[in-house]
Amino acid sequence: MNHASVSAVTLVVNGDEHQVEVMADEPLVRTLNDRLGFSSVRATCAMGICGTCTVQLDGAVVSSCLLLTRQVAGRSITTSEGMMSDDGTLSRVQQAFVDHGAYQCAYCIPGMVVTVDACLSEDPDASIEEIREYLAGNLCRCGAYVSVLEAIADLVEGGRG
Amino acid sequence: MNASTDTLAPARPALGVSLPMPDAVERVVGTLKYTVDHSIEGMVHGKLVRSPYPHARILDVDTTGAQAADGVLRVITGAHIAAAAEVPNPLFGLARRDQAPLAIDKVRYAGDPVALVVADTPANARIGAASVLIDYEELPFMVDPEEALVPGAPVLHDQWPGNECGEWRLESGNVDEAMARAEHVFESTYTSPMASPVPFEPHVAIAAWDSDRLDMWTATQWPSAVQQELAHMFDIDIEQVRVRTFPLGGGYGAKSQLKIEPVVGAAARMMGRPVRLELERDEVFLTIAKHPANMRIRTGVDSAGLFVVREIDLLYNGGAYAVLTPKAVAQGLVRSVGPYGFPNIRIRSRGVYTNTVPSGSFRGAMTNQCAFAYESHVDEIAAGLGVDPVDLRLQNLLNDGDRFASGQVMHDVHFPELIRDVAETIGWEEPDVPGGSGKARGKGVGVILKTTPPGSRTEVRVEVRADGRVLVHTSSVDMGQGVRGTLAQLTAHHLGVDFDQVSVLDPDTAETFDSMTAGSRTTFVADRAIRQACESVREQLSQLAAKKLQVDPSDLGHESGAVVGLSGSRHSYSEIVGGAGLAAVTGDGAHQSSPSDALDDPLDVKGEVAEHWHQGAVAVEVEVDLETGKVELLRCHGATWAGRVVNPVRARQQSEGSIIFGIGPALFEELILVDGQVSNPNMSDYMIPSILDVPIELTSASLESTDPDADIHGVGEMTIPAVAPAIANAIARAADARVRHLPLTPEKVLRAIMGAEQE
Repeated sequence: MNHASVSAVTLVVNGDEHQVEVMADEPLVRTLNDRLGFSSVRATCAMGICGTCTVQLDGAVVSSCLLLTRQVAGRSITTSEGMMSDDGTLSRVQQAFVDHGAYQCAYCIPGMVVTVDACLSEDPDASIEEIREYLAGNLCRCGAYVSVLEAIADLVEGGRG
Repeated sequence: MNASTDTLAPARPALGVSLPMPDAVERVVGTLKYTVDHSIEGMVHGKLVRSPYPHARILDVDTTGAQAADGVLRVITGAHIAAAAEVPNPLFGLARRDQAPLAIDKVRYAGDPVALVVADTPANARIGAASVLIDYEELPFMVDPEEALVPGAPVLHDQWPGNECGEWRLESGNVDEAMARAEHVFESTYTSPMASPVPFEPHVAIAAWDSDRLDMWTATQWPSAVQQELAHMFDIDIEQVRVRTFPLGGGYGAKSQLKIEPVVGAAARMMGRPVRLELERDEVFLTIAKHPANMRIRTGVDSAGLFVVREIDLLYNGGAYAVLTPKAVAQGLVRSVGPYGFPNIRIRSRGVYTNTVPSGSFRGAMTNQCAFAYESHVDEIAAGLGVDPVDLRLQNLLNDGDRFASGQVMHDVHFPELIRDVAETIGWEEPDVPGGSGKARGKGVGVILKTTPPGSRTEVRVEVRADGRVLVHTSSVDMGQGVRGTLAQLTAHHLGVDFDQVSVLDPDTAETFDSMTAGSRTTFVADRAIRQACESVREQLSQLAAKKLQVDPSDLGHESGAVVGLSGSRHSYSEIVGGAGLAAVTGDGAHQSSPSDALDDPLDVKGEVAEHWHQGAVAVEVEVDLETGKVELLRCHGATWAGRVVNPVRARQQSEGSIIFGIGPALFEELILVDGQVSNPNMSDYMIPSILDVPIELTSASLESTDPDADIHGVGEMTIPAVAPAIANAIARAADARVRHLPLTPEKVLRAIMGAEQE
């Protein structure tokens, strides 16, 4: 495979179609961040460990550093930016994170938002413990986990209230 | 001027309130701009080629293939930089100028940068870098600091033939006599390995030259140090270098001092165009590491359990370049004393060069290693004497008015309150619950001292604008601790305006000077600088209002963002500024910590070693699997002396985040060397704590003074140093297994349980 060979693909990100030229071996995270400007999606470990590149692919949580862009042509990708309404209204998950100060340097936080959102979409009755397990693949070096768990507790309890 | 008719709402209190960071929404959604997101017109991209050998002479660098690769514009080597008129002083370093932007003549660690390939895109730079061919002649190497001291050991730097990288000593009282007379003498050696800060945003910098002026955007905690050192490197005035930074995606010490800025600045100048360099993950691991350290402690105790004498020998592995080690080991000396009083004490703290990743700041720098040693040691003494470890601490802890080992009289000292808080919260007095089958539970504590060294400076400028905005110019860096929010709260408090009016600008050395954002110093020093700037602004506003109203300035007061006359008439600040035909009124403030001669003689440290004392404590409960040695952290509580709390949620996040950060190096984090190379420079083989490593019960307390004018203490790293010893002590109590070497892996714990731990 010629590393530099370029092909055109169509990506559907947050409901919008984007035509992009990508390299054959280009990981999805690079296309989303570098070419399309979705700054919530970041390559940190580049090996599927840390979760800062987390997006939803047809609703499922994936590490976008482990997928080639060409593999996901035409499929529906959702990033944290896409969870905010056009008028700036935050999603329920995003609002809970803001309300509980669940961020420090925040490099990892949008990835956590995407994961928690997917978990609750799959199972609206997910417990705090289940969501915590779900977040095992979203690392935070500042150690904001306690505030994140409080935001989750609010989502779980608020959702049932 | 007429009295303002607008109904000014009284400003909401801004101190002691959990206001969100002003950019909370951007942080959560993912639209916050970090330095890694910055780009400028016409920039090209670099990729470093690094040495695979820990110590080798560079015989030849063949750049032909790389030069011919697609998009490659230039390949720069150390030899090019050494010969370049554009880089008159190629060596840099804040403590010793011993490092070049690219290795000249020889490499000193596996990972040392040898060449920079610059191309039109990052991908082309990477491909080009793979085509650079380098001939090396391997040299003998060593990675163990004890080996570095042996006569005949490989020499890294010709100027330092014994691999010395700093030596500091302190002695007071009569150590030998006291040791001879002590009722009991305890001695142990403790070690901490190389570890990595792992900031998620990598090191990234952009340099752009306009004739002899350099613009640098870099993810740094020390913008002013970068400015000064680059001015020296390029032989230009300090004012000709402008360093800016955006919020950091994590620092934890990794972005202290200078890192990639010299090579980026040199390449941009040599090429005459802007250059950007962003490190890949393995390179972040190879750029800076936590100092590995060996600490031997010997303590003499009298018949009543009082510590009468201590001897400390501390050896830090500085890695291949000095970075800050020769000065940092002085802080290591001061912090090795811990929170205890010793009538007789002798300390030697040394740094040495070895062929490993350069050592530098790491959250809790030069404190974590010592605290693991001295707090483990206290429990070993307690076990030896058969007394309670908390009681032994309370008996020996420093109190207000006591003299520190250096002779400095200590004030604002709260160690006993901290240890009582954590002991009570963990239920120290309650009997240990038996563990499950084949498991044992135990509790442990640790209490630590850290210092803010004298001699740093912080400037701020507060600008009250006619449009009602208040801008704070600062070079303090937001790295997740919330500088943008905390400085806005302090400004709102001292100016008496509403928090929402205040914006904190990003660091810019063209505007303000700040020594560094490090060592948990920012909130303490910024509070003083901001108070001064706000007083200046208020005085100017009084003068302007007095002139307009034709009254004496002393008849005017200030309330909620307005000048208030004797009659009760209110004139908002914006109205006064606008009414005077000005765009803004600005006030400058600075905090310069008083200079001290304590460190003038490295071999005789004495006097004022700290501007102010950081104090923290941690208590944990663990469960040890007696068959596997696996340790589970069940509960954890940390306490930090805060003086006054600016923002309760953020203070808590610092204490608890610091505990979580500390769990990694305590239980599993270690950079492993194989044949002189780091074998795990990735986030799969070098693990950091996940949400599943956080104990379900994790709490903290920020202890405050009743004095409304008490010093505001930094709270960023007061629990991390106490985590590892608290866990080690809990393991010892649970399983009668003392581990003196971090991290506390199942293998080491199991060996200790079996009575087979090697020294």
